[in-house]
Amino acid sequence: MGTENRNLHKEINEKLQNTVMQTALSRFADQYPDARLKAYENVDSIEDLRDDLRDMKRKAVDNIEQVANTFEKSVQHLGGKVYRAKDGDDLKQHLLQICRENNVQRIVKSKSMATEEIHLNAYLQDNGLHVRETDLGEWMLSVAGQKPSHMVMPAIHLDRKECAGFFSKALHEEIPSDIPFMIQTARRVLREEFLQADMGITGANFGIAENGAIGLVTNEGNARIVTTLPRVHVVIIGYEKLIPKIEDAAKILRLLPRNGTCQRMTSYMTMVDGPTPVIYKKENKWVEEDRKLYIILLDNGRLKAAHDPKLKEVYQCVRCASCLNVCPIWTLVGGHVYGHIYSGGIGAILTGLLSSIDDFSKFSDLCIGCRKCESICPGKIPIPDLIDELRSRAVQEKGLKLPEKAVFQNVLANRKVFHTLLRIASVAQKPVQSGKFIRHLPLFFAGMTEGRSLPALASEPFRDRMPGLLKKNPAKPSLRAAFFSGCNLDFVFPDTSESVVKVLQDLGIEVIFPEGQNCCGKPVLGMGDRETGRKIAKKNIEVFEAANADVIISACPTCAETLHKTYVELFQDDPKWLIRAKKMAAKIREFTSFVADAYKKMGRLTPSNKQTKHLVTYHDSCHMKRGLGITKQPRDLIEASAGYEFVEMKNCDKCCGMAGAFGVKYSEISLPLLEEKITNIKETGADTVAVACPACMMQIQGGLDQQAPKIQVKHVADILAENLSI
Amino acid sequence: MKKVCKDWVTNAFDDKLVNASYWQEFEENAKAASAEIIHVENLQSAQAAIADLIVTLGAKKIIAVGDETVPELNNLYKNIEQTGLSVYTDKFDIAEHAPTADLGISMAEFGIGETGSVCVDNYAYEARIVGMLPPSHIVVLNANHTVKNITTAFKVISRVFNRGYMGFITGPSRTADIERVLSLGVHGPSRFFILAVDEMTDRRMH
Repeated sequence: MGTENRNLHKEINEKLQNTVMQTALSRFADQYPDARLKAYENVDSIEDLRDDLRDMKRKAVDNIEQVANTFEKSVQHLGGKVYRAKDGDDLKQHLLQICRENNVQRIVKSKSMATEEIHLNAYLQDNGLHVRETDLGEWMLSVAGQKPSHMVMPAIHLDRKECAGFFSKALHEEIPSDIPFMIQTARRVLREEFLQADMGITGANFGIAENGAIGLVTNEGNARIVTTLPRVHVVIIGYEKLIPKIEDAAKILRLLPRNGTCQRMTSYMTMVDGPTPVIYKKENKWVEEDRKLYIILLDNGRLKAAHDPKLKEVYQCVRCASCLNVCPIWTLVGGHVYGHIYSGGIGAILTGLLSSIDDFSKFSDLCIGCRKCESICPGKIPIPDLIDELRSRAVQEKGLKLPEKAVFQNVLANRKVFHTLLRIASVAQKPVQSGKFIRHLPLFFAGMTEGRSLPALASEPFRDRMPGLLKKNPAKPSLRAAFFSGCNLDFVFPDTSESVVKVLQDLGIEVIFPEGQNCCGKPVLGMGDRETGRKIAKKNIEVFEAANADVIISACPTCAETLHKTYVELFQDDPKWLIRAKKMAAKIREFTSFVADAYKKMGRLTPSNKQTKHLVTYHDSCHMKRGLGITKQPRDLIEASAGYEFVEMKNCDKCCGMAGAFGVKYSEISLPLLEEKITNIKETGADTVAVACPACMMQIQGGLDQQAPKIQVKHVADILAENLSI
Repeated sequence: MKKVCKDWVTNAFDDKLVNASYWQEFEENAKAASAEIIHVENLQSAQAAIADLIVTLGAKKIIAVGDETVPELNNLYKNIEQTGLSVYTDKFDIAEHAPTADLGISMAEFGIGETGSVCVDNYAYEARIVGMLPPSHIVVLNANHTVKNITTAFKVISRVFNRGYMGFITGPSRTADIERVLSLGVHGPSRFFILAVDEMTDRRMH
């Protein structure tokens, strides 16, 4: 890990210690989900709206050239000028020429991320133009020399005192930190800027091909004034904002304000279609003429993305920034550590496409793949998948870093070597110290557990216990199940594996454990090394084909998702292996949902009425809830278990901070997430926390150890096994 | 005065999409967005309501734009002027006085139930500054002209929108850029009134 990473750690720590920002972000993260849902209370189906938006945007990107041509013709037909800029430099030069031609001295701007992306303001100022941001947040940041930390709430990281400081600096007078006073001061100062401006520059939330209109969504109303008072209007719009029809705008507008600011509609939604009248003083006399309208379509990597079968999905983004609002990482560290204009998960992708893959790589691993963003994104963008895709391309292009490469390709890809090393480690490990919790297994070989105790590996891995368990298989089985344990259940939690086998056997199922099975490959794939991932996948497919089972059971949602979904994706271009991967995928069943189905058929899924011995809460693993969509079944199983009474915890589906490599590489972020999880568990009063994911089990156990040693963590399989007579 | 559509009722509305049945949801959502609603029976009571409001706001200088489909509005402005207040209705006068005016009055075409927004046709420059520069803004709305939601609003709009400037206004100008505290009137008006009139000229009747 080079100096860039070390700097990032330093930056993260600064942000974590910034109490102003921490207070603001945690309060916001707390309020946002409910406020968003309240805004949606009067729609029939959020899902239908999201589908409509996604489908409309997909159609637009699939025909982007045609849509852009139509848009251009529509604008020209009305008398507006259209220029297509291939990149930032091209755009800036053209814009400067427009300023010169129209004798422009003073410019007012309303918020435009595209102009931030190409650093337009600095360029215009260097060329002697007077430029003012008029969005209050953007204006304060420009005075402060800072960048926005959020696309919709650019100054969320500041408090009123800091804001007052920037006001005072800009106006050369003492401004008290009284919010209404500051607002009135901004109104007074910026009003003068509006009245004197020759040119207004805006972005656009959408551009309609059918009639050439652009749409602006704002609350302050600055965009309305910017598009009204100055005699020249320049629109800077990315290709991804183009939509075919007037009615398509409704599909954006029913979601964007609700997701972005939890409003049913923002104060102003303004559409400008062609040049419109402007009245201004010319040689001291009021005149009315048509405002000059210039629309600049910015490419800067967008058109290439439009033709990329996977990455074209970024066109479904409407820049509501709600993916940041629910991101466990963003809500801890804020937007600045992402280092670029666009922050958060979508920011990583946009940076990769619009800036460079190097810039992407610098912060792409700040996505933990919890999929929370994907679950609310208006355009249904699979953000973590696109990040994965870019990661794998970065690896393809630049290769892995050396220690990771050696471990992945020489150790993980070879089960015997890997497992032998694990056994040696289990003997050599020091006793696990309190507070140092264990980590995602395969990664500790990659030097990623630096400064930490080794994982608490079981003295006897599960695979060694299996011969004894085989003897308990039913004589006349109803089904033959192969158990895919995954590394954690094999080497760290063999007891839980035993529970899994017992519960299945109790259902009259024959359980076998194919010895040749290896790690599912997720850690390698998560780092973008698909080549090694494919090698591991092929091995596992061969082993489970030979096992000839009716179903393959996994009690780890990450493994289940990898075997079921990722393997199939890995072999998209290899028809022979694709068939085999699909065959295997069809047999994969996640443990709790499989058992819940069986119990239901047998009438065993009724809530237990027996005396309560334990109060139990349940943590939804990210991969379980948002990867596999399983939430109800584990809860039903717990409620049906004798002696257990169920209670929900706050934010039951928020990431515990484990997330594979992430928890190790960024322990400073992982720990606060864990702390929050433990606090929420404690607040329920439960003495047991149930999980259905061994990775979360590790993380939560480590946290409970330190903060609430009396609370036990149990896999759902363990709870079920307790009540079995065998 | 320039408009995207000279006559929305004839060219864009139909009874199925635009009618009075979404009033209640419109009113609730508009209020939730900090719009102030004054609901009156006819233009006569509208005039009285405006007169009251002028007193309450202490407005001295008023800029107002009319509408050709509602000739009564212009009479209303004349009547206000006769009370000794300055009411500017000429576009150059409006441009001259907008930065110092206390109140702006203009028209809205229809209300949207889902969001409490009003749809405004502001192709004319003067119609825009009337709504943006003074600290208070009144829109006059025919209370029978409401649509269900944003989707139906755009269905109506798409029938006539082939050039110009239009959009929605949903409550006053607001910001939450400092500590996410809601503050009104940062650039546009801090008070936004919807004067909804039950009985107004409706060309479909003719």
